[in-house]
Amino acid sequence: MKVLVSTFGPGDAGKVLQAMAALPYNRLILVAERPAEECDGLERIARLEDMIGRTVGFERIVGTKFMQVVDEVCEILDRCSRNAGTGVRNDLLLNISGGSKILGDAALFAAFRLGVTAYHCDRRITRLPVIHGATAVDRFTKLQSKLLSAIGDGATLPEVVDRMQPAGKQAAERVIRELRKQGLLASELEPGRVRLVLTSQGAEAARAIRAAGQRTPS
Amino acid sequence: MFGTLGYRPKSLIPTIRSTPNVEKLVFYCGADPSDPDAPTKVSEAKKAVLEFCHSMGINAVAVELPDPFDFKSIAMTIRKDIRKHKRDGKEIAVFNIAGGTKPTSSAALLVCILEGIPTVYIHDVTDEEIHLPLLRMEYNQVLSPEEREILRFLLRNRNTEMTEVELASNVGKHKATINHHLKNLIAKGAVRLEKHPKDARKKVVKVLDSTELLLGEDT
Repeated sequence: MKVLVSTFGPGDAGKVLQAMAALPYNRLILVAERPAEECDGLERIARLEDMIGRTVGFERIVGTKFMQVVDEVCEILDRCSRNAGTGVRNDLLLNISGGSKILGDAALFAAFRLGVTAYHCDRRITRLPVIHGATAVDRFTKLQSKLLSAIGDGATLPEVVDRMQPAGKQAAERVIRELRKQGLLASELEPGRVRLVLTSQGAEAARAIRAAGQRTPS
Repeated sequence: MFGTLGYRPKSLIPTIRSTPNVEKLVFYCGADPSDPDAPTKVSEAKKAVLEFCHSMGINAVAVELPDPFDFKSIAMTIRKDIRKHKRDGKEIAVFNIAGGTKPTSSAALLVCILEGIPTVYIHDVTDEEIHLPLLRMEYNQVLSPEEREILRFLLRNRNTEMTEVELASNVGKHKATINHHLKNLIAKGAVRLEKHPKDARKKVVKVLDSTELLLGEDT
């Protein structure tokens, strides 16, 4: 089944209608920051969908900070990527033109994080250059991904080496050097020890790795 | 430093202040043609930013966007400028994507992701600066050199109807090799096969518009 997920807000019915006309889909899910009753235009879209016997899904974003919104959009996309009853995978299409600036940008960010096909449907329809199925995870080797996941909230070198087994100490140290060079790992000095921590970029990479781990390949 | 600007200089100026040693600011602005007050408001905001930069000794360049709702054209313009600065060996400290129309902001974010530029947002209400985690997607990490070569060739010849066999002959590769690469490119959503306009038995290879955004000027 093809699922069209579109960001949405008051006055955005035209943008969603553009997406509905241009993109193939079987189910429409709107993602909005405002409650359904405050989104004018929703009724019109629901009426159009009803004519062909479909209902419109509505998901509300509650977070206000950029990365909270990104995480919520990712959760919604992850939920929509599987049929709740059968577990069969759905094809996802994402339109980022509706809603507030922060919601649209967060959806764009989420599309790249998860490798979801995305469009900007407004006066023109623009397909975004998200490579289908390619995510930030593709940047890393298996060992690098494992180490980024193993660091968690921070860990000392012996702890990291322990968590990286069966890879040896030398391999773990090499990966630490590689990730440091990429600006994904930093060190924090504590009394009597040094802790390895993720930088903000490293934390985003770890989130992307987690997200990719939750999604089975399509 | 790069930025986008709408009606509020406050969406851009905090980043100029918080970024050390800014030598040059390039910002993108454009007026919504449907709002009669927009040209005045954008012009006032631009003037305020230019004045601020002048008093700080920062070279500021305002780039007028002919259509601040044309997502693709804005993304191509910004990417071209970013690449030019990179080629000239200039370090890009940060891109503030808070101002301007929604398509302008989203196009700027897209370029930041493709080019790996640190990105910052200014919260509408609190004026707080939010640094976004760097999420870099480089096409050379997801496309093989052969796939890139095929895409570049298709983009350069996008107005020519070309079958798989013709493509193979033009790029000097065996048909089976091209078939293998095309299968991968179709799966990645970079190209598609369409019916030949004159011969229903044949299919032509079409490169998607988004591929131009992905490869940028490299074509």
